[in-house]
Amino acid sequence: MAKVELTINGKNHCFEVEDRTLLVNLIRDHAQLTGTHVGCDTSQCGACTVHMNGEAIKSCTVFALQANGAQITTIEGLAKNGKLHPVQQAFTQCHALQCGFCTPGMIMSVAGLLKNNPKPTDEQIYHGLEGNLCRCTGYVNIVKAVKKSAELLATQKQSR
Amino acid sequence: MDQHHHSPLFTVDGAKLSRLEDLRLITGKGRYASDWNDPQQLHACFLRADRAHANIVSINTDKALQHPGVKAIYTGADALAAGYLRSANFLTFAGKDGMKALVPDRPCLAIGKVRFVGDQVAMVVAQSHLAAQDACDLIEVVYEDLPAVIDPVAALQPGSVLIHDDIPGNSPFEAEAGNEAEVTQAIAKAAHVTKLSVDCTRVTASPMEPRAALIAYDKTTEQYTVHTPSQGVNMTRRQFAAYANNMSEDKIRVEVEDVGGGFGQRSSVYPEYVAMMIAAKALGHSIKWVSTRTESFLTDTHGRGNLITATLAMDENAQFTALRIDWITDMGAFLSPTGPVSHIRNPSTCLNGVYKIPALYGHFKVALTNTALVAAYRGAGRPDIAYAIERVVDTAALELNMNPADLRRRNYIPANEFPYKTATGSVYECADLPTLSAKALQLSDWSGFEARRLSSLAKGKLRGIGMSTVIEGTGAGMYPKDEIELSANAAGELTAHTVAHSQGQGHQTSFAMLISDAMQIPVEKIKIKQGDPARSPHIVGNHSGGSRSMVGAGTVCHLAALKLIEAAKSLAAEDLGVEPSQVSYSKGVFQAAGSRKKITLGELASKKTVSVKAEGAFSKQTFPNGSHITEVEVDPETGVSEIVSYLTVDDCGHVVSHTIVEGQVHGAVVQGLGQVFGEHIVYDKQTGQMITASFSDYVMPKAGDLKSIQVEECPTMSKLGPLGIKGVGEAGCTASLGALVNAVVNALHPYGIKHIDMPLTPAKVWATIEQAKSQR
Amino acid sequence: MHAFSYVKARTLKEATDTLLAHSEAKLLAGGMTLIPTLKARLAQPTHLIDIGGIEALKGISLKAGQLTIGAATRHVEVANSPVVKRAIPALAYLASQIGDPQVRNRGTMGGSLANNDPAADYPSAALSLNATIVTNRREIVADDFFQGLFTTALDSDEIITAVRWPVVGKSAYEKFPHPASGYAMAGAFVAHNTKGTRVAITGAGPGVFRWMEAEQALGKKMNAKALEALQLEAADLNEDMHGTKEYRANLAKVMTKRAVAKLSGK
Repeated sequence: MAKVELTINGKNHCFEVEDRTLLVNLIRDHAQLTGTHVGCDTSQCGACTVHMNGEAIKSCTVFALQANGAQITTIEGLAKNGKLHPVQQAFTQCHALQCGFCTPGMIMSVAGLLKNNPKPTDEQIYHGLEGNLCRCTGYVNIVKAVKKSAELLATQKQSR
Repeated sequence: MDQHHHSPLFTVDGAKLSRLEDLRLITGKGRYASDWNDPQQLHACFLRADRAHANIVSINTDKALQHPGVKAIYTGADALAAGYLRSANFLTFAGKDGMKALVPDRPCLAIGKVRFVGDQVAMVVAQSHLAAQDACDLIEVVYEDLPAVIDPVAALQPGSVLIHDDIPGNSPFEAEAGNEAEVTQAIAKAAHVTKLSVDCTRVTASPMEPRAALIAYDKTTEQYTVHTPSQGVNMTRRQFAAYANNMSEDKIRVEVEDVGGGFGQRSSVYPEYVAMMIAAKALGHSIKWVSTRTESFLTDTHGRGNLITATLAMDENAQFTALRIDWITDMGAFLSPTGPVSHIRNPSTCLNGVYKIPALYGHFKVALTNTALVAAYRGAGRPDIAYAIERVVDTAALELNMNPADLRRRNYIPANEFPYKTATGSVYECADLPTLSAKALQLSDWSGFEARRLSSLAKGKLRGIGMSTVIEGTGAGMYPKDEIELSANAAGELTAHTVAHSQGQGHQTSFAMLISDAMQIPVEKIKIKQGDPARSPHIVGNHSGGSRSMVGAGTVCHLAALKLIEAAKSLAAEDLGVEPSQVSYSKGVFQAAGSRKKITLGELASKKTVSVKAEGAFSKQTFPNGSHITEVEVDPETGVSEIVSYLTVDDCGHVVSHTIVEGQVHGAVVQGLGQVFGEHIVYDKQTGQMITASFSDYVMPKAGDLKSIQVEECPTMSKLGPLGIKGVGEAGCTASLGALVNAVVNALHPYGIKHIDMPLTPAKVWATIEQAKSQR
Repeated sequence: MHAFSYVKARTLKEATDTLLAHSEAKLLAGGMTLIPTLKARLAQPTHLIDIGGIEALKGISLKAGQLTIGAATRHVEVANSPVVKRAIPALAYLASQIGDPQVRNRGTMGGSLANNDPAADYPSAALSLNATIVTNRREIVADDFFQGLFTTALDSDEIITAVRWPVVGKSAYEKFPHPASGYAMAGAFVAHNTKGTRVAITGAGPGVFRWMEAEQALGKKMNAKALEALQLEAADLNEDMHGTKEYRANLAKVMTKRAVAKLSGK
């Protein structure tokens, strides 16, 4: 057992965990934030994607202890002051989710993608979504939502 | 072009949404099976067979029981003691010569024998998931290996090893449809006969949410409370009760909120859940289990897995005269609840596809193999039969040197012949296939293909075009009717209870839209509740599956709204002191005729109970249909196929939400694309080990596989219900298999290639081209 | 996953000391291969030594025709580095094609090379450019480093600290990703300079290897047509349900041709 101190969605936490605890288990079981999901065991599906120090990572492939001192943002922490993040807005407005299970990871990945590349081409979007699987939408509307997110983010930036 | 009919957005808490359910799902507030917890819960982990076929000589749990945190270990002996030995099976019709299916027992934990890799041998219950997993490694099982049979054709051969001693020839069921003698005669007299065998490959639904359950037992009420993914809690309760030694359904409370995809795979109650009931009762704690993805691959029911031979007879005018279908359906090691019925009844209903064929015969043989069970998967036999027919029709066109669109046009059932009784006895309700197909041909510029082919060729790419026109039955289900309970509250809001459980289809929006339309109340004021254990047991209705929910429960939402208005008019009349006939209703307000007296729905509901239950029966079925046309470019250097255009023209009757319908079509087409180009459950033929037990090996579709899609409608209205709805959930899967394979085979015609079985992986397409080149 | 003790190493010395103290200890850098392996219960180390936080193992610098990249430098940093993009653009491109964005945000160059997965991307660049693998003890040229399936010249207590990449000539990478895992079914890294041409193939065989016939053909004529008549020997290549040996041989050739075309700007 070991101690992990980290920040999740701006809140400081300290947990006692087994060394083999994965970050996703810390988030779901210890911090009880169940919006981050687990869809596979081989780091393929991306349902567990969160931001660690501002970058999209798969929380099923990081040990909780590796996140000591880190700033974690999960889907629950993306909306600010009750206002949806542009990527969240775009996902619903483009009907880019159906069952919603992959959606938190998908949204966190897209938020990460657009941070590095605010105006991606179609090919860059496909490449940027390689770490996330969705079984319901056929991805067509997800790709639309990425473009819509980019537009909304650009507008948000301008209006600042 | 696409998404040209986007429905308006709804406003909830200041957020603009496509669907009412979206707000919780995009903010991480959805509640899926593994999100349920009980502070006192214990964790289960299953020890699974590491081999395909073996007798269990002994199981030693001593060391495992010593492991810190372990509370108990259960094995087949406990299944036997509980009597949890037989899962439900929905195969209700008689087979060939009146035969009844031989349904093998499937104890919730294996007794004496394991029959596929992943079969559950023991269940460890411990204080943590990790402790349970560690202890599984400490269980010692001595096996006596038996030869395994993986291939369904081999399993049916005389002398094959038997998977169940009491099922001779590994074939528990055989069934027929139509008239064999007529078909044989017509084939003998035909001017041309085309015969094609296709493998409608075994795949897995892979909803993104893995299976999970939290199961508690209450000593005082003797009730079990279950949280698990479900497509409809009635069907789930019924299966739980049946599996648990025919316990009363009242003893099972099922509470389900969000479900992370279903596709038929979440319609079954699985043995793990029933084993957990034993532990929950014995230990007095809630038991939690969350499947790994590997376990999902190994033990969730698979889909398709049908070997189909189609023999199509034509006269000298290329009019179809007879079709014979010989079908071997691989069901795995046991019969799943939905598998046999899906893979026999559904194809029998549409055995002639969209064509006028006077003589039909289908022969279905069920095979058992040492593999995971097969059950309904999006379309459940409908995509399989449509694929076989659309492939044999394209092959016939090739053999006759005809344009496949012309051959189809000659044989479509004319619009004026609906309702059309098929030679297997089903009645297609309504469709206008020639108009629908003409629209698809025109929108896809079918006739301009040659120019596009040449321009692709100039880039070194082989371009192909394929079409598929299909029809499928929907509306019927296990329950004779669908009910909706609709109530108003003092805030003037409405709540509808249903058992048709959304697994992503968006019922909380589309059902609300129907009620909103009928009652002229904003959608945002209508709540659709599903999987509520307090209400669901009092509602009859079918689970969501078979494209039926909008046809059934959706239509009844409309009926319930009308009924509520009438019932509330009577209540309002009492309050307003007039005759009910004097009360009019508009936009949530009841008004007495010729006076200013009125009362709002909310005011009425604050004084009196405003609640109705409405019902509708849909077992006669309606028949969504559609035509898909796609073009692909094949890179002969690598064998990669790229989809360059995809058009759907669907007749799903009246459309409530175009946004949701388009989403359903997108998703289903891409699931079809997945099966066509990569998805495939593969077992080692000798050892029975699964080669594709993870997303690193099983090829899931990814973003960019389908770059764009044009979704169009060409509706004819169903008369099955008052709204004309036909259903759409499975249409995309049903049509896409044939369209895409036809397109790739068309691209490869220049090499003389006539057929390739799915999956059309780059490696296989390349090898097929190379082989064809070497033979020229 | 089996139980283990996690040790966070702050310095290289701490890491080596722990490694020496426990025979069944393993190094953890990005963990992109190791953690899935542990989750599948395919390895049972007693200790995991996290070297991801050691500052000495990080960073990218260009000096005297040598691009030096710290072993704990993540793929995303290599892919986006202006220095790498200018010095060896093919290396930055290769890094941008590894795994997926989330993997690139964690996975490291040292981890990839030390693991020597036969379908990993970096080994092809290292072998083609004959990079120098710098460890806590010595320097190993790529020609001597890769020794077949998951095997390298590293001793059990040796740690890669950096990789030195020679900056000369032109190079290009083309890969055909596995349809499910995204690893290379076949990847070709072609490096061309005044001394000659080196072609390294990953994914197709049990380990990265040089395709000598292609190098010779390209030595005579540096264009894709020069490869047309060649056939990579298929006998020793990998085979699975996603591709036969022959298919992989073909892919290796097609990827080499495409890399050459890219390299020569065609």
